[in-house]
Formats: sequence, structure tokens, C-alpha cells
Amino acid sequence: MTETRPLAGRAVVDVPLGRTVLALVAGWLVPGAGHAILGRVRRGALFFLLVMGSFGLGLAEEGRLALYSPRDGFLTGLQLVANLGVGPADLFARMSVYGEAAYALPDQSDPAHAPRIEKLRERQRSAVSAYGTAFLWSAGLMNLLLLMDVWDIAKRRKD
Amino acid sequence: MRGHFANLVVYSGVIATFFAVLTRRDRREQLRFGGLVWLSMVLGVLLLAYLMLPFPR
Repeated sequence: MTETRPLAGRAVVDVPLGRTVLALVAGWLVPGAGHAILGRVRRGALFFLLVMGSFGLGLAEEGRLALYSPRDGFLTGLQLVANLGVGPADLFARMSVYGEAAYALPDQSDPAHAPRIEKLRERQRSAVSAYGTAFLWSAGLMNLLLLMDVWDIAKRRKD
Repeated sequence: MRGHFANLVVYSGVIATFFAVLTRRDRREQLRFGGLVWLSMVLGVLLLAYLMLPFPR
């Protein structure tokens, strides 16, 4: 669907819906790719470096890869959203840290509970883990902001 | 990167650069805004740390 409307005294044309959706999906999969698809290649490359650099530093500093726990559903849910914002890189990190695609803390009666929470605590024992967590969550939140930016660019609300 | 200060400087740098590029188009504007954000973050944390000196854990 293409819509024409005036912006700052001139007629502008929206990016077609299919390309907008493609840019949003690609932007989540690879940070900065959404901008590249909409023609902002250099900006997209810089965003990729910033988001993935932050993510890499977070992993190197043993940041927390949050696990959803029903006992503290609101906070752990928000932490998970921050982690997931960075895209599939988060999945690969979880596979490497937990040995599987772990997103939730199993019930205490579950045999998987103890090893998973031990892994989580082991990372948090590191002196720089809090910084790592800040880098990891910031990477995800930055990428979510980038997706909103992609939407605004596609809707011609900004350059 | 083990030091608290190094983490502060790098983290502030990442955040400042991100928001400068996201919200500003002109190169000079980006440098000015990014520099201001970076400086505010670093000095703000140092000030907070100084104010917390009388209250050790």
C-alpha cells in the first residue's frame, strides 16, 4: 500500500508495506540491516557495529542472559525483552552459555532447575557481570529503538 | 576490560554515539550532541560516586 502525503511543504511517498515489513524483520535479524534496506547503508553499518559491539562486550563480561521466572514475571519478562531485542544473536549466546535455547527458569521440582540457575549464578559471580548485563540489555534495547526508527523512515516521518 | 572507569568510558561512548547518530543528521550536530551526552554520563557518574563517598557499604 503506497500513500502520498505532504511533509514540510512537499509531497512524499511512503515506502511500500512489503519493503517496510522486510526492513523491520531484517533489522531485527541483523541490527542495522533495516536501515540498509531503506537506503541508509552507512548509518546501518554504524548501528550494526554499535549494537553488536555492545552485545559482544556484554558476553565477554559475562552479562546476564535473563531467564523468565513466573515468581518474578514482570521484571524477568522485561529483562527477556531487552535480551531478545538483539535478534538471533541472543539465541546463539544462550546455546553457548546454557547448552540449549533456554528462555525460562524451570519449576523447582524440575531436574533442569538446579543446573540452569547455577549457570546463571556462576556468570553473576564475575566482578564485571553487572557491566556485562548493562551492555547486553542496552544492545537489545538499542535494536528495538532502531526498529522504531526504521518504521519512521518508512513512513517518511524522518529522513 | 576489568576496570570500573574503563567500563564507564566505553559504555558512555557506545550510548552517546548511538543517540547522536539516531537523533541528529548533521555531522557537527552529532559530534556536539554525542560529546555532551558522553560528558554528562561520565561526569554525572563521577559526581554520584563522590557524593556516595561518605556512605561506604
